[in-house]
Amino acid sequence: MADWERLAQRSTLGRRLRLGALSVFLVAISIPIAVPYIWMVMIAFTSRRGMAETGTLWPALVVILAGLGSYGATYLWLRRERPAIAVGVIVALLLGLILLGQDLHLQNFRFMVNANIIEELDGQGTAGGQFPWVWEAFANSLILAGTQTVIVVTVSTLAAYYLSRFSFRGRNTFLQSLLVLQAFPAITLVIPIFLIVFWVGLLNTLYAPILVLTALELPFFIFIMKGFFDAVPWDIEMSAMTDGASRRQAFWMVVLPQVRVGMIAIGVFAFIKGWEEYVFVNGLRTGDSYWVMSTYLYYVQEDVMGVDYGMVAAVAVLYVLPALILYVFCQKYLTQMTLGGVKG
Amino acid sequence: MAQVTLKALNKTWDDAVAVADINLTIENGEFVAILGPSGCGKSTTLFMLAGIYLPTGGDILFDGVRVNEVEARHRNVGIVFQSYALYPNMSVLQNILFPTRFQNLPDAQARAREMAAMVQITDLLDRRPSQLSGGQQQRVALARALIKRPNLLLLDEPLSNLDATLRLTMRAEIRRITRELGVTTILVTHDQLEATTMADRVVCMNGGRIEQMGQAEDLYLRPDTLFVAGFIGSPPMNLIPLPQPGLDVPSAAKTLGLRPEALRPAASGLPAEVIHIEPMGREVLTTAETPFGLLRFLEAGTQPNWQPGDTLHLTYAASDTILFDADGTRIPGATAALKEQLRA
Repeated sequence: MADWERLAQRSTLGRRLRLGALSVFLVAISIPIAVPYIWMVMIAFTSRRGMAETGTLWPALVVILAGLGSYGATYLWLRRERPAIAVGVIVALLLGLILLGQDLHLQNFRFMVNANIIEELDGQGTAGGQFPWVWEAFANSLILAGTQTVIVVTVSTLAAYYLSRFSFRGRNTFLQSLLVLQAFPAITLVIPIFLIVFWVGLLNTLYAPILVLTALELPFFIFIMKGFFDAVPWDIEMSAMTDGASRRQAFWMVVLPQVRVGMIAIGVFAFIKGWEEYVFVNGLRTGDSYWVMSTYLYYVQEDVMGVDYGMVAAVAVLYVLPALILYVFCQKYLTQMTLGGVKG
Repeated sequence: MAQVTLKALNKTWDDAVAVADINLTIENGEFVAILGPSGCGKSTTLFMLAGIYLPTGGDILFDGVRVNEVEARHRNVGIVFQSYALYPNMSVLQNILFPTRFQNLPDAQARAREMAAMVQITDLLDRRPSQLSGGQQQRVALARALIKRPNLLLLDEPLSNLDATLRLTMRAEIRRITRELGVTTILVTHDQLEATTMADRVVCMNGGRIEQMGQAEDLYLRPDTLFVAGFIGSPPMNLIPLPQPGLDVPSAAKTLGLRPEALRPAASGLPAEVIHIEPMGREVLTTAETPFGLLRFLEAGTQPNWQPGDTLHLTYAASDTILFDADGTRIPGATAALKEQLRA
């Protein structure tokens, strides 16, 4: 019996060691992915001379690793999530204050309050009126991503429902062509799309990127939504209809609530797609007719003589934030998205 | 409550015939079971009654009025699906109330509680369908189907997803409720026990056609066709191809049917060698090799009387035999007695 106890102890110890080793390994391979982002944030909050400094990066990494390490160690010790997170955060905060406390400042974010940042940087009249206030670009980006999301979610939901529930001539061809369309890189279409947009008269308007992005995204999202509809049992709908609902009422009251997760998921992806779009935004305007965040970021580093990397990084932080927040809050819906449809 | 008449009803999918020429009248308040193997067209018939499928030909009459083109939601039919088809996004109470949302019912709430009391789920009204057991879901589906006081209640294999003991309870429950409400009910099932225990009248279907209809006893004792003879009864009827040496039969007879309980061991008769023994509780089912092929016979008792390899003689009363002609139709009044030489 004593032997058993020792074996159990050894097994527990082994399990903890393996888990620890695995965590260390995973942290190690995620460093190359995480470091650029950490660096960006550090430059945005600490750079004073507009250079891409590394001076604060190393202390920051030390702070983060110390926080993660103390979290991991506490978790392995206590096997409880909350105290471990608390310990990790406290360690990181304390160490951060000690190592980085004096370096942190918000100067690089002054573009958020100064409507005429270009004049401040390059002097009066250098690029008068060419460069907007960041919030104008921010609002345009929101309009572009938001409108595009609403259209994509509405159209792909309705189209996918029809494809999932009705049989009609050409249904299979349609489904296959949805997939084939994905095989062509959208960038190959830049010139024809530019010409079409020009002839239609939408060049230099926000409608152009909204419509083009919507059209490019629809095939894939229709396919995803079809998977969600396929997973909704047919007899639930039939049951609603014998209960007295019309087909449209059955769709609204019974079917749609069950594909809610899918709609949220494709909505998030469509929004982020529109938020980050650069090619079709920059390609469909000939001057500075409209600004969005991606073009704003590009011109901050391109147009300003003697690039202020501190400010570029700060703009980048502002640019990443909405997408990041969206991901964090909708993560549980995104993980339920597979090509096949819904889980459970 | 309604009388339902099907006149020369048929349904084809492209070239496949699902239901062919069904003629059937179901009286007001009657409980009819449609029994048949899967793919025999029984569910298609049910869905045509509900208004989910449009008949290819023939008429459906409710109280003498043709309803072929009337939409499902206007037929006032209640249906319970095999999967129960509860709406997962609604609570039990909302599920039961769902059909009343399309009618102007001032007493909907009171009625829902009355239905819940009848199916004994009053303490589950706030739960979600996913929190219920199969039997409870079944009761909710039944309450939902009955709340609008339907003309006709349709049950599509309602018990096949329940375990054996629950099935026994629900059989009695469903029968009690339909009798209490006096609602015309059609049950579709492939389980002969369900059909014979619950229904006033059993309709046996195969290949889209009605093979026979009548009381359960008629189908068991006087099957009109070879199919009914083989389908009804468990263990199934022994079917012996004719002619056989040692059997006195009319020349038209091509198959002899003999229920396992009609065969019994005797001092003389058909020589048999025991192959396999299955104790079934109150009875023992024995399979034996005879000059007529493998035959099964039932004996009362919990203990087997034989061992595999034993030899014995089997006999039967000529009045227990049923003869079928080349088309598989029963020859009324014909019997097959064992000839003297075999009795020796």
